[in-house]
Amino acid sequence: MTIEHIATALAPELILLVGACFVLMLGVTGSPPRGRWVSSASFATIVLALIAAVRVGSPEAGELLPGLWITSLTIYTRWVALSVGALIVLVNWHQPVVSERGEYMAMILLSLLGVLLTASANDLVVLFLAIELVSVPTYVLIALSRDDTRSSEAAVKYFFLGALSAAILAYGMSFLYGAAGTTTIHTFTNGIVSSNFSFGGAGQAQAMIGTMLVFGGLAFKIAAVPFHVYAADVYEGAASPVTGMLGFVPKLAGFVALCKLMSAFGWNIPPELSWMIWIVAAVTMTVGNVLALLQKNVKRMLAYSSIAHTGYMLVALLVGPVAGEGPMRDGVAAMLFYMAVYGVMNLGVFALLTAFRTGGRDVETLDDLSGIARRAPAGALALAICVFSLMGFPPTAGFIGKLYIFSGAFSTSAAHPMHDAMIALAIIGVINSAIAAAYYLRIVAAVYMRTEKDEAIPTGGMPVRWGLALCTIPLLVVFAWPAALTRSATDAVAVVQQSIFRNSEAVATTDPPSSVHTPTLRAPTTDHDDALEP
Amino acid sequence: MTPETIEALRTYGLAILLAPLAGAIIAGAFGSKLLRDRTHWVSLLGVAGAFAAAVALFVTMQSAPVDARSVVIPIYDWITSGTNSVFRFELLIDPLTSVMLLTVTGISTLVVIYSRDYMRHHGTPEKGYERFFAYLALFVFSMCVLVLGGNFILLYVGWELVGLCSYLLIGFYYGRPAAAAAAKKAFLVNRVGDFGFGLGILLIYLTFGTLEYGAVFDLVRQGVTDSGAAIPDGRVTAIALLLLCGACGKSAQLPLHVWLPDAMEGPSPVSALIHAATMVTAGIYMIARCGAIFTASPVAMTVVATIGAATALFAATIALVQTDMKRILAYSTISQLGYMFLAIGVYAADSAMFHLFTHAFFKALLFLGAGSIMHAMGGVIDVRYFGGLRKLLPYTFITFLIGSLALAGFPLLSGFFSKDEIIHHALSVHPILGVIGLITAVLTAFYTFRMVFLAFFGPTRVPEGAVAHEAGRWMLLPLFVLSAGAIGAGYLGVEVTGKGFHHFLEPVFEHTFIAAGALHGAGHASVAHGGFWAEYWLMVLSGGLAIVSMIVAYVFYVRAPWIPGLVKASAAGVHRTLWNKYFVDEAYSLVVVEPARRIGKICVALDDYLIDGIVWFVTAVPRALAYALRTTQSGVLQGYGFSMVAGAAVIVVLVLWR
Repeated sequence: MTIEHIATALAPELILLVGACFVLMLGVTGSPPRGRWVSSASFATIVLALIAAVRVGSPEAGELLPGLWITSLTIYTRWVALSVGALIVLVNWHQPVVSERGEYMAMILLSLLGVLLTASANDLVVLFLAIELVSVPTYVLIALSRDDTRSSEAAVKYFFLGALSAAILAYGMSFLYGAAGTTTIHTFTNGIVSSNFSFGGAGQAQAMIGTMLVFGGLAFKIAAVPFHVYAADVYEGAASPVTGMLGFVPKLAGFVALCKLMSAFGWNIPPELSWMIWIVAAVTMTVGNVLALLQKNVKRMLAYSSIAHTGYMLVALLVGPVAGEGPMRDGVAAMLFYMAVYGVMNLGVFALLTAFRTGGRDVETLDDLSGIARRAPAGALALAICVFSLMGFPPTAGFIGKLYIFSGAFSTSAAHPMHDAMIALAIIGVINSAIAAAYYLRIVAAVYMRTEKDEAIPTGGMPVRWGLALCTIPLLVVFAWPAALTRSATDAVAVVQQSIFRNSEAVATTDPPSSVHTPTLRAPTTDHDDALEP
Repeated sequence: MTPETIEALRTYGLAILLAPLAGAIIAGAFGSKLLRDRTHWVSLLGVAGAFAAAVALFVTMQSAPVDARSVVIPIYDWITSGTNSVFRFELLIDPLTSVMLLTVTGISTLVVIYSRDYMRHHGTPEKGYERFFAYLALFVFSMCVLVLGGNFILLYVGWELVGLCSYLLIGFYYGRPAAAAAAKKAFLVNRVGDFGFGLGILLIYLTFGTLEYGAVFDLVRQGVTDSGAAIPDGRVTAIALLLLCGACGKSAQLPLHVWLPDAMEGPSPVSALIHAATMVTAGIYMIARCGAIFTASPVAMTVVATIGAATALFAATIALVQTDMKRILAYSTISQLGYMFLAIGVYAADSAMFHLFTHAFFKALLFLGAGSIMHAMGGVIDVRYFGGLRKLLPYTFITFLIGSLALAGFPLLSGFFSKDEIIHHALSVHPILGVIGLITAVLTAFYTFRMVFLAFFGPTRVPEGAVAHEAGRWMLLPLFVLSAGAIGAGYLGVEVTGKGFHHFLEPVFEHTFIAAGALHGAGHASVAHGGFWAEYWLMVLSGGLAIVSMIVAYVFYVRAPWIPGLVKASAAGVHRTLWNKYFVDEAYSLVVVEPARRIGKICVALDDYLIDGIVWFVTAVPRALAYALRTTQSGVLQGYGFSMVAGAAVIVVLVLWR
């Protein structure tokens, strides 16, 4: 493994790291400091990293470095994170004051770097560090985003609760290490068949506690119940453009990490844990949507909506991968598809909030939004498209995303141990989508039908407008032509399975694992059997 | 067909779709800010581009052998499940498509050119100028989707899209209550038809398990469902009648014709394009396309023919007494569409398409001419308020006269040939319907020339305040081009020129209308057996009747203007019935609208008290839940931390010690 090879394979990560350092320096050097150039430099960094990710990114046959394995899940996550990341920089272009912009943009880049590392982590320690690299910069971003006590309060809250969740995550990982005897994720399945890490044996309790705690720690990142409580306060406290990022970046990292956790067990967790995720998914959707109903502050509303979307994606996670089927049946592909769409449509709404001000402050409440359609028809249309997409209405990508997720849950094979429960969960999801329409439509109604306040004025510069446009257009394009994104998501999943099952030398050389040895394991479906063939 | 030909057809097909769509998007997005009174260029480029591509497509198709001119070109899969495509975006290109595309894009190009001047007054564009051109281009795109789509889903998508465009354009002057009401009426009446149409498509899917044209038609011909079992009795008839329901709505046939006359509230170019030449022919196209389904059910074919003949006569009688020129033309359109239905119903789909083709020219011409008059008369189009315009608007007069002659079936103009053919086929299959067609032809000539004589002859009168002026160049050019078409289009389909139009379409209808028609003694076979002379005499007869009819109109409205008054007085009841369009609107109002309104009131009451109560109760649950949960959102950090840890603990305890 030559150094050139490693440098090439990790080019996007390296570019982000160098870019972050450069931007940090750029913000404070020179007199007066060249803060004005920071946004352009950050944008260029991300675009460069994106080009690198698209051009040199190809899945590796084995670990690149100890703890890092570039799979096609990595490839997918890279370009989704970097594409949305570029939009995030556009939306944040004029944030905050020039003198602090260097730190601010560097934090965004570092957080994205964390997502990329999460996607290639193959070791619990690396995974933990990568996840924290996602989170830590966001604490700083929230604090820097506004010059008032609300953002400071939000930052402190987020920091303390984030630290708590990190502790839970690390604690859970230590249990897993204890049970498996290794921190290397792709060898976990070896442990199942060959050593004391067995759900059926003495290590069962240990492994299950570990799994639950890791799930808990990650549930904080994705804002799932009961680790969701921070979301509304933090979203409201941070400035809109940061909130747009908070809804996506930690969630992407969290879900990718959950994919890794699930695939470490071959998507073959005991029924108790499946039921735990089932309950968490159902409660998360419901709590998110129900609490959003009461909100008049759009940012709080979207905080709860983001919780609800986590619930939908958990449904897809529970459906699990189905080899070669595509997202209509394959839950993980549906989840990855939805994640990309969610990132864009969620950011779009915050981009609009960023682009308007009313009475000297940011637009936040439904009242503030009223009558925007008359002042800025294009912006209002973009907002309506994003909101309809969040609602899951055609002709937007959100419709296809929801179609994929619920279709997967409805069409689990009869051999799937949660077959009936998944249908019930899908029904709960559909009911929730209907509840959600109530508050999403209130946003559209405020923009188009109410005129009483009519004070919001467009202030955002061109980058923010471009950000809004670039969030909106893909939603329509993906609806008309979902094939490209669908194929990417499907390909990413093939590797979620392959890297763990097919490429793992141990599985290839030992007896076929799972149900033969461990009667309490959830019986593998026929589809999984295919994947298990060496 | 060679791969290169298919590749070329694919390119042209996509260009036909994308050019108007791009025009619509650009006009819509940049019209009001950037383009303003130049917006017509964008639409014109898009629509003319589509026309150019349609011509190229036609020429390319000519290079393929006659029996291999039908090709399905997949563009992309929309959603797939495993290896199955849930819905594929694909184009069907064959001679029928090609004829429709040429008609639609050709007329549209002329209408866009015409609208450039029509939508301005004294050089300043009307309010909503850019919106108008965006809608026009969007309409062309929608119609091309309808025509080019290779499966029933795309047909339905196009179908609904043209319905939407029609709604938007009828209601273009949305500030006017009449226009808003007309748009609503068109939309609702079409919904009735579309509901049946949608059911028909669902029934096709239930029966055959696919919605692709080729697969469905093959199965129908073999008489089996997708599982190989025989199709249940009456299923094909049911499908055909449900599809017919949609066609009746879109093509304004009895009893769903009521929306079309009101649709004249839209700007005149819209009436010309959508409500005369193109969109209303969607029903004809659909039945012709689904020939395999319709010809498999003789019952459905008889229903189609009967509806067509009845509508033709019915609408022609109403047109006799109306005074609003655009309404006369609207009823005339309904009547002519009836002819096309009649033709299809007697297995002469090629004649129907031929009439569709010629009708597009002369009816668009007449509507644009009426628009020119309206423009000159300051928005008045009622023949009671003006007359003798022959001298004031000479070019409009000449072109309008040509269009009228074609519509009236004056010998050797386009309408004469195509209409005569239909009557001929009808006489050989359903003689009674053929006679109705002949009577309608007489009425058509009469009401058309009644309109011409009232508007252009007699003493010159103009409404108060109107400054009569001949239309500008942008408006006259389309009138001239369409006049040429109204004179000459018919020669594409006559014996003398080898019936090129019909032979071009023959491969499409070979296994459907032509084969089934031979079984039912339709006209195709009879021409070979000396039927030519029968057709010849029929030509002389119908031409003679048309001329006599015109002379009668001349006597009535120019030589002896007291006669109409006398006739009106002596048959006051008949006149009143016709004037009120057989009271169909009133009947609908009494039977459908009022009861619906009453039920609506009851529903509102139920809704207010019962449903709202239930809803309140239902929403009260999430709401109460929300208030309860809200207490957990206290904003206190310690509380949040506690709830997280407690939550984790509860989960662990529940899972481990369940």
